Amino acid sequence: MSAEADTESWIGARLLRKEDGRHLLGASTFVADIRMPRLLDVAFVRSQMAHAGLIDIIKPEGAQDRVFTFADLAPLKVLEAGPELAAFRQSPYPALAQGKLRFVGQPVAMCVAASRGAAEDLADQVLVEAEELDAVVDAVAALRPGAPLLFDTWPDNAFIHADVNEGDIASLAQAPVQIRRQFKMNRQATVSLEGRGVLAYWDHRLDELVVYLSTQGPHVMRLGLAEALGLPEHKLRVVAPDVGGGFGGKNRLMPEEIAVAALALKLRRPVRWIEDRREHLIASVHAREHHYDITLFADRDGILLGLKGEVHIDSGAYALWPTGSFMEASMAARNLPGPYRMRHLAVTTHTVATNKAPMGPYRGVARPGACFAIERAVDELAHEMGMEPLELRRRNLVSASDMPYRTAGGLRLDTGDYPRALSEVADMVDVPALRRRQATGEDDGRRIGVGFAVYTEQSGHGAAEWTKRRSRVVPGYESATVRMLPDGTVHLLVGIQNHGQGLETTLAQIAAHELTLDPADISVRHGDTSVSPFGFGTFASRSIVFSGGAVAKTCRLVLEKARHIGAHLLQTDYAQTHVADGVVHGPSGKVSLAEIARAATIRQELLPQGMTPSLEATASYEPEESGGFFSYGAHAVVVAVEPQTGVVSILDYAIAEDCGTMINPLIVDGQIIGGVAQGIGTALYEEIPYGETGQPLATTFGDYMVPCAPEIPPLRIRHLVTPALGTEYGVKGMGEGGAIAPPAAIANAIADAFRDVGAKFCETPLTPRRVSDAVALACGELP
Amino acid sequence: MMSITLMLNGEETVQSVEPRAILADLLREGCGLTGTHLGCEHGACGACTVALDGMAVRACVVLAVMCDGRTVETIEGTRGDPVMDVIRRHFHEHHALQCGFCTPGMLMMARDIIARHPCPDEALIRAQLSGQVCRCTGYMGIVAAIRAAAAELHPEAAARPTLTRNA
Repeated sequence: MSAEADTESWIGARLLRKEDGRHLLGASTFVADIRMPRLLDVAFVRSQMAHAGLIDIIKPEGAQDRVFTFADLAPLKVLEAGPELAAFRQSPYPALAQGKLRFVGQPVAMCVAASRGAAEDLADQVLVEAEELDAVVDAVAALRPGAPLLFDTWPDNAFIHADVNEGDIASLAQAPVQIRRQFKMNRQATVSLEGRGVLAYWDHRLDELVVYLSTQGPHVMRLGLAEALGLPEHKLRVVAPDVGGGFGGKNRLMPEEIAVAALALKLRRPVRWIEDRREHLIASVHAREHHYDITLFADRDGILLGLKGEVHIDSGAYALWPTGSFMEASMAARNLPGPYRMRHLAVTTHTVATNKAPMGPYRGVARPGACFAIERAVDELAHEMGMEPLELRRRNLVSASDMPYRTAGGLRLDTGDYPRALSEVADMVDVPALRRRQATGEDDGRRIGVGFAVYTEQSGHGAAEWTKRRSRVVPGYESATVRMLPDGTVHLLVGIQNHGQGLETTLAQIAAHELTLDPADISVRHGDTSVSPFGFGTFASRSIVFSGGAVAKTCRLVLEKARHIGAHLLQTDYAQTHVADGVVHGPSGKVSLAEIARAATIRQELLPQGMTPSLEATASYEPEESGGFFSYGAHAVVVAVEPQTGVVSILDYAIAEDCGTMINPLIVDGQIIGGVAQGIGTALYEEIPYGETGQPLATTFGDYMVPCAPEIPPLRIRHLVTPALGTEYGVKGMGEGGAIAPPAAIANAIADAFRDVGAKFCETPLTPRRVSDAVALACGELP
Repeated sequence: MMSITLMLNGEETVQSVEPRAILADLLREGCGLTGTHLGCEHGACGACTVALDGMAVRACVVLAVMCDGRTVETIEGTRGDPVMDVIRRHFHEHHALQCGFCTPGMLMMARDIIARHPCPDEALIRAQLSGQVCRCTGYMGIVAAIRAAAAELHPEAAARPTLTRNA
C-alpha cells in the first residue's frame, strides 16, 4: 500500500482511529448491550409460507396478553414506500401481516417474555392458519401471462416498468459486431455481523418514546416511525448507538422496528427485539438479484457503439420505506455503459415483485450487477474479436481529456484518468508474464486466468440527482453543529451515523485542520436525533463529501468569530490576525482559542461591544454540483481454477483507485479492502437461493457462505489522486467502490482461464458447481 | 434451574441457570458481560469466542451448565492482561477493526493463536482464523496485527528461521 500523505496537515494523515479504544476493550454499546429494568424480549411469529391467504392467528390459551397481532397494535399506519411516481404501484407492507402472507419470514405476530428463549417458546405455540397459494420465485417468469399475482389490484407483478434511452439504438441495426449475452447476479443478504436490533421505551421524564435502533440514519428513521406511530416528532427520539455494520441493510425502516416501537407505546415498558442470524438471512434486507439480457454493438476496430437490453430486478415482496428498490433498476440501466464512450443506449427495466424477502440497498447498489454485465460483455466481445480484453478497454475508456464526460447513461464523469488506472493494475499483475505462464501450463492441472474490471462510483450526489430519482426523502445536504467549550475543546455534532467508516476520526481531522487544533481535542457526536441537527445518515458514499463539507464550513464560521474576539482581546484589527496551532496571533501578541472560548462563554465583558456570546455555529452544506463526484478504479485479479472441481483460488489481486483527496489513507485502504472482500463474497460464495415453493435455502452460516480469512487474498493497492473539483479539499466518497468490481474481474479471470474452450461464466456466485458445470458444458461433457 | 459455580474473570461466581441456557446468554444476560458478542448463535462466526479453562471456545455452543467448576475468561477479563494489551495495540495500529462487532472474539482468538504458535506466518494465521467472521476489514489488518503482535511477544521465535508453509 502506498499513499501520498501530506503529514504536515491533518488532511491526509494516517491518524489511528479514535473509535478503536472502546471496541478493543469490549466496552462498546450495541443495541443488544443496553440493559433496562423490566425489559421484555420479543420473538416474532413468521410466515412459513411464501404466498398464502391469512385466515386466522390463534393465540395460545392464557397468553392473550403476551401475543400481539397487527390489530392489537392499532392505530398503526402502513407507510407508503417507493419513489413518488404515479407509475410505481403501491405494496402496503404492514408491520405485522394482514390479509396475505407474501414471503417466508414475514412477521405475522409478536410474542413477549422476560427472555428471548421464553418468547420463542411462546411463538412456537401460536397457530397461523393460512391457505397456501402458488409462489412467484422467478422475476422473469413472474411477468408472463398467467403468473400468480402478489397484489390482486396490479395488472402484472411489476412494481414498475421503465425505459432508459439515449441516442438512437436503431441506427446500430447494421453494426458489424453484435454480441448478445444473458447475465445473472444472484440474491444475497447484506450480513452485517451485528444483526438488526431495536429497543424502545417511554421516557416519562422527557415525555417521549426513546427508540434505540441499529440504523444508518436515525433522523430519517424518526420521520417514518413518527408517521407510522402517529407520534409528533418532538415526542420521538431515535438513537443509533454503536452499530455493528450496515452496508445499506440498515438504511430502511423495517416492520419489526415499527412493531417493537408500537408495542413499547402499548405496554409502557421497555421492549426489545434482537435479530438472530436466521431471521437476518430470511427476513432482513436482501440485495443484488438482477437478470440482464444485453446486446453490445461495436465496429470492426472494437470501438463500442451502443448497448441495448432488458433488466429484471427481483425486488421481493414489498417496497421498503422510504424508497423501496426502484433505484436498482434505474442505476443498473444508467451504469450499463460503464466507463466507456458509447452514445446509444436502450434499456428496458422491470422492477418485479416476487415471494421473497424485500430488496434494499447493499454496498454498491445496482452497480456490482451492472459492472458484472458490461465488463463480462466487454470481455466476451474481445474474445469474439480475437482481441486482448485489456486492449479493447483501452480503446473505449473515457479519457482524462474527455472530462467532464456525460455517459450515455446520463452520468457526469467529472475527473480522473481511467486508462492510467487500468495500465497501473496491468503492470502490477504483469500481464506478459501471466500469458507466458498460461502458455506453459500448470503442473497441478489447474488453469490460470487474469481478469480486469473498471468501475465508477457516484458519490456525494445531491438534491437534483435524488429529486430526479423521485426519492421520497431527498438527502441533498448535511448539517453540523460546532460547539467550542469554555476550555477550547470542541464538540462536533453531526447528522451522519458512523458504523465502521471511521468518521469519528476523519471528521475530527477535518475540524482539527480548520480550527488548527489537535483531533484529540475534538469529540464527534452522531447517531442521536436529540444531539445533532437533522442529517440523512451514512449511505451512498456520501458522508465525507456532505458531512465533511458541513464540518469544514461550520468550523470556519466558529473560527472567524474566534478571530474577531481574538483581535479585540489583542486590541488589533481582524485583518492583522492569523490563526495557527490553536492560537490567534496579532502583530504584537497572541491569545489562545481556549482563552477566547472562555471569554466567549463565561466572560462576556471581554467581548467586543454588541457581540453575542458563545462559540457555536450550525450550518448545512451541499456542493454546487449536484450530479455527484465519481471515484473510480481498475481491478486486476489472477486466479487458478481446478477444472474438475471448479474450485477457484485467487493468486493475486491488484487495485488502482482514485477517490480524490484522501482525508485518512489508512481508513481509505480499510474501506477498499473490506469492500473487495464483500465483492469476493458476491463473486464466489454468497447466495440465498429459493426453492420452487419459495422456501429460502440458505438460513445459517452453514449454507450462506461468508468469506473468512483463508478466502480473502492480500490486496495490493495503488492510489491515483485527482482531487475533485467542487468539494471541500477535493474529496470524493469511496465506501462502496471496493464491492463493485470484484464479481466482474473475477468472472473475467475465470473466463480467461478457459478462453480456449469457450466456457461461459455468466452467473454469480461462481461456486465450484457452476464453474465445473460451465467447463464441462463447453467441453461437451454435459448435455 | 440449576446452580453452577464458575471462576469468571478471576472471581468465583454462583449462578442459577436453565439447563438449556448457553454460556453466552449467561455471560451477557446473567452477568452483564456484554463484550461477548453474538453474531450467529450457531458456532460459525466466532464473535462470542471466550476462554474456557484457557482454551478458546464459542460461548454460543457451550451450555452454561457445562462450565460448572471451570474457569471462564471473557474480553472484560483481559483488561490489564499484558499480552492482550500488546495485541490490542497492534489491532489499533494495523486498522484491524471497523464496526468493532467481531473485535472481542477476534482478540480472544488472536491471543489463543499466538499462545499456540509463537511465530505464526500469514498462511497459518489465515487458516486459524477460518472460523472468525469479520464483515468489514477484509482481514488484512487483522492478519497483520496478529503477526506483528506475535513477533513482539515472542522475539526469539520470530528470529528463528521457519519452514515455509503451504497455503
